[in-house]
Amino acid sequence: MPHVVVACSSCRAFTGDVTTFDVEAATVREMIRELERRYPGFGEHIERKMAIAIDGEIHQDALFEPLRAESEVYLIPKIGGG
Amino acid sequence: MSDVLERPASSAPLDDGRLKIVGTRPIRPDGVDKVTGRALYGADLAMPGMLVGKVLRSPHPHARIVSIDTRKARALPGVKAIITGADFPELADEEYEAGESASNLRDLALNVMARDKALYNGHALAAVAATSSAVADEALSLIEVVYEVLPHVVAVEAAMADDAPVLHDKLFTGGLKEKPTKASNIAKRNEIKRGDLAAGFAEADVIFESRYDTAATHQGYIEPHACVASMASDGQCQVWSSSQGQFMIRTYCAKVLDIDASSIRVTPAEIGGGFGGKTTVYLEPLALALSRQSGAPVKMVMTRDEVFRASGPTSASVMTVRLGAKADGTLTAADVELKFQAGAFPGSPVGAASMTALACYDIPNFSIVGYDVVTNTPKVAAYRAPGAPISAFGVESAMDDLALTLGMDPIALREKNAVHDGTKASYGPTFRNIGYAETLEAIRSHPHYSAPLGPNQGRGVAVGFWFNVGGESTAAVNIAEDGTAMVITGNPDIGGSRASMAMMAAEVLGLPIEKVRPIVADTASIGFSMLTGGSRTTFAVGMAVTQAAQKIVEDLKRRAALLMDVSVDQVDWIYGAAVCTDVSKGKADLSLADLAAKSGQTGGPIGSQISLNAQGAGPGFGVHVCDVEVDPETGHVTILRYTAAQDVGKAIHPSYVEGQIQGGVAQGVGWALNEEYVFDTGGVMENAGFLDYRVPVASDLPMIDTVMVEVANPRHPFGAKGVGEVPIVPPLAAVANAVRGAIGKRMTSLPLSPPKIRAAIDAG
Amino acid sequence: MAQLDFIAPVSPEQAAAALLAGGAGARPLSGGTDLLVQLRSGRLPPGLIVDLKRIPEAIGIRQEAGGFVIGAATPGIALGEHAALTAAWPGVIEAANLIGSTQVQGRATMAGNLCNASPAADSVPALVAARATCLIVGPAGRRTAPVESIAVAPGRTSLAPGEFVLEIHLPARSARSADAYLRSIPRTEMDIAVVGVGVNLTLDADGVITDARVALGAVGPTVIVADAAAEALIGSKLDDAALARLDTAARAAATPISDKRGTADYRTKIAGVLARRAATIAYARAEKTA
Repeated sequence: MPHVVVACSSCRAFTGDVTTFDVEAATVREMIRELERRYPGFGEHIERKMAIAIDGEIHQDALFEPLRAESEVYLIPKIGGG
Repeated sequence: MSDVLERPASSAPLDDGRLKIVGTRPIRPDGVDKVTGRALYGADLAMPGMLVGKVLRSPHPHARIVSIDTRKARALPGVKAIITGADFPELADEEYEAGESASNLRDLALNVMARDKALYNGHALAAVAATSSAVADEALSLIEVVYEVLPHVVAVEAAMADDAPVLHDKLFTGGLKEKPTKASNIAKRNEIKRGDLAAGFAEADVIFESRYDTAATHQGYIEPHACVASMASDGQCQVWSSSQGQFMIRTYCAKVLDIDASSIRVTPAEIGGGFGGKTTVYLEPLALALSRQSGAPVKMVMTRDEVFRASGPTSASVMTVRLGAKADGTLTAADVELKFQAGAFPGSPVGAASMTALACYDIPNFSIVGYDVVTNTPKVAAYRAPGAPISAFGVESAMDDLALTLGMDPIALREKNAVHDGTKASYGPTFRNIGYAETLEAIRSHPHYSAPLGPNQGRGVAVGFWFNVGGESTAAVNIAEDGTAMVITGNPDIGGSRASMAMMAAEVLGLPIEKVRPIVADTASIGFSMLTGGSRTTFAVGMAVTQAAQKIVEDLKRRAALLMDVSVDQVDWIYGAAVCTDVSKGKADLSLADLAAKSGQTGGPIGSQISLNAQGAGPGFGVHVCDVEVDPETGHVTILRYTAAQDVGKAIHPSYVEGQIQGGVAQGVGWALNEEYVFDTGGVMENAGFLDYRVPVASDLPMIDTVMVEVANPRHPFGAKGVGEVPIVPPLAAVANAVRGAIGKRMTSLPLSPPKIRAAIDAG
Repeated sequence: MAQLDFIAPVSPEQAAAALLAGGAGARPLSGGTDLLVQLRSGRLPPGLIVDLKRIPEAIGIRQEAGGFVIGAATPGIALGEHAALTAAWPGVIEAANLIGSTQVQGRATMAGNLCNASPAADSVPALVAARATCLIVGPAGRRTAPVESIAVAPGRTSLAPGEFVLEIHLPARSARSADAYLRSIPRTEMDIAVVGVGVNLTLDADGVITDARVALGAVGPTVIVADAAAEALIGSKLDDAALARLDTAARAAATPISDKRGTADYRTKIAGVLARRAATIAYARAEKTA
């Protein structure tokens, strides 16, 4: 199942010291829902404030992107440019 | 002068090695207008009955606003409207932890017009609209403000101290495990960690540590903020504005004024530079509110003084960098601490600075801690790869000293620890399709790198990284009845992107570039697009343009099949014409013009619009080498030679990619040598003009040579990666490292102005 | 609201009368490269502007009694284009031509630069080193005064109400004489001088310095005539020992402040550096003249 790693400190308020998760999900939305279930408030935080890197590719607003069984998912802060 | 280095076979879908237009250098479509003065910028529009709007700004860096009395100003003949913070809806007054996002709307609204507190010298408190500039100025002088002056704080570390004057009594440091109970100027602490730092340093043969500091600098765009706004009595608004995104202007005006987005039509003017500084609003909501009250259009143009005091410079910083390495140069550990000045409201780019700080390196153990700190200075705005040049200055200076200690060539040290495809980035995800190694090699093998140096001369190398983004984008392509084409996007052209849009469409359609006209449309005339910034336009909007053009090609083939009376799978589109692949049928080709002439008979007007959310933007890497000569008696630094190599994916229009690289280098050199915000002890900026805020002038720079390394990004139809921001990341350290080579001393404090260099030499 | 008024007199006496009548708000206008900036920024309130450019004596360069007479409203670019003037006074001309930029040079004047009384004015140290004088016209008539007597404090001159500078006079040149001006700025162009040094030398047939004048700008409220620095050179052929004495004396004469353009310590050191370098250039030029 997809392996999720949290790479930002704003998430500590929700997950404490836990930074990696195995989540059964076929899309990003399912992953967010599962994480929201485990850590209330975390899912909304991810949706509003995080970008998601799936197998190395960064997505911003990636709700319906598919996840494969071996997908590596990173949650990183949204990036703004100049 | 520039070189383009290519990999043998591109993985970009439409780059088959036979491109006719993409990769060439046609004259930019906006060129004639810009050099002849025809181009219309933010301050150029005039509407009948238009008033002049001006802003009253706080003289104090920190003060409670006790009262504002506008009666005398209102009585002055010629004054048609006066507004203060009370004329804007109060957005939710909530206890807030600082967010990563820079668009905290409540803060933005308070920055546009203060309510209870002035938080920096220059903070807007009131605005007037009058029949002339002179009347408006006099009206401002008649507004009576009673202040309760408060102690202020400007420097980052002073603002972090326990006894510092606190700017926001409901700001509590975010990112900590337990929420603190005492308000602080430290809005947020963030942290990125990997491995075991102590173990990593224990393994090191050599450890190097230093502290660095940089001053606040401004993006320095030549065109001040300017807009004309008009709100009719039915609430319908028109805004003409110089900005990096007309949709962003619309959104912010709608939120700050609490009106519907569809009631505001924003037309983008030509923009005289933005670099991130125009990704937010200062004047537009004020001009709309003044227009609402006066019933007339209002023009507002910032003076240069206002631009410095009251727009959005970038952060001053204090950093420490500690590196551990084996004798062969393998990095074993890195410990970075960044303290960034956010200005009056939270939102410095310390987060991105943390994520990019070690992005070029494959290090098993590291810790990067960043602090976002509010201060009584203007709220910082994005500046070209926000945050990255600052953390790169610290890290790349430390790497340079490490290379010296190890007796290693600086490129070799970078190569030894370089990230490759498959390396896990310091900020998390795994790299794919990057051209970093090739970019390092491009500099290593460049004649500049082995050219001899003379007395008092030094050479510096530095590397840099930026993510580049994609995002929501819309483009439309329409075919005119004569077979020429219009490409319509919603993104202001700040770097030559409009030319690239036309080129990509022309390539797909098979039209000569002169037959394809790009325009940037207003918010009512084109679908939504994220603003121009983040090095995203050529990548993301280009993707939409290409797809729109491809959709048209499919439609053209269908129409041709109808006219030729063959099936559509027997029609190919080749260099601007429909060709029947079955030669035995003897069908003549049909050009775009032929098909356009028959559009009515074959289904109606020919056009398409594509809206998408582009993903898969490829990050960029830059490797720079700089030679300087230092006059040891005066401390003056002369840049003798500068070569910048960058992994660009695909240069759609090579001249504009070069231009972006050279421009970023020029800004980085200014940041390194002479640019800084100077504050007096009263918290007031002393050098709010280009006389004493010293950007490089033409004679300060040599020709900047560029090398464009093309490792295609397969997610873009032509392989493009964003290019605009990477080039400003390496120069601060490249120059500092070169100065170290020239004078034999390490300068850790920017800018490297002559008095500082002379003092360092004298210190022995 | 204050009024802006403008008058373009055709004689010096008419200009003096207008300036007197205009009171404290009256200002002469030549190129306007300081005046207009100050009006726009609000530093100067609007008042009466007296344009000098219609006065015939105010524009032009002529040779007289072995020296040069330069009209007050003569723009910098005209100075640089005058061959004889540039040959005789390369230091004065290079100083004047440093003011502003190429565009500014089309308008800026030495008299305006002098009477603006900025401590960092570029043309003034060179004019002082050259022993230039001013012809001043006022309601009481005409008088002559040395250039160094004009500025008395930053932004203030010794001119009485109604007085203005009509001409700048450069004296006759002795043989084997030359001058030079150098300034230190953070960039390569466009900056206000952090330090400016003008050196004027006369040599005898053997190359011994028989006369010297050293003037320092931007290191005090007004230009400093560094007599001890000049004396350090007299009798020498500008050998290393003389240069060292010059450096020490220039530094001792400098009284700079620390501000956003430079620290006092830095300015003091640079005064010495530029004095040495300007003297070296002036000496080489003097050796080449007849």
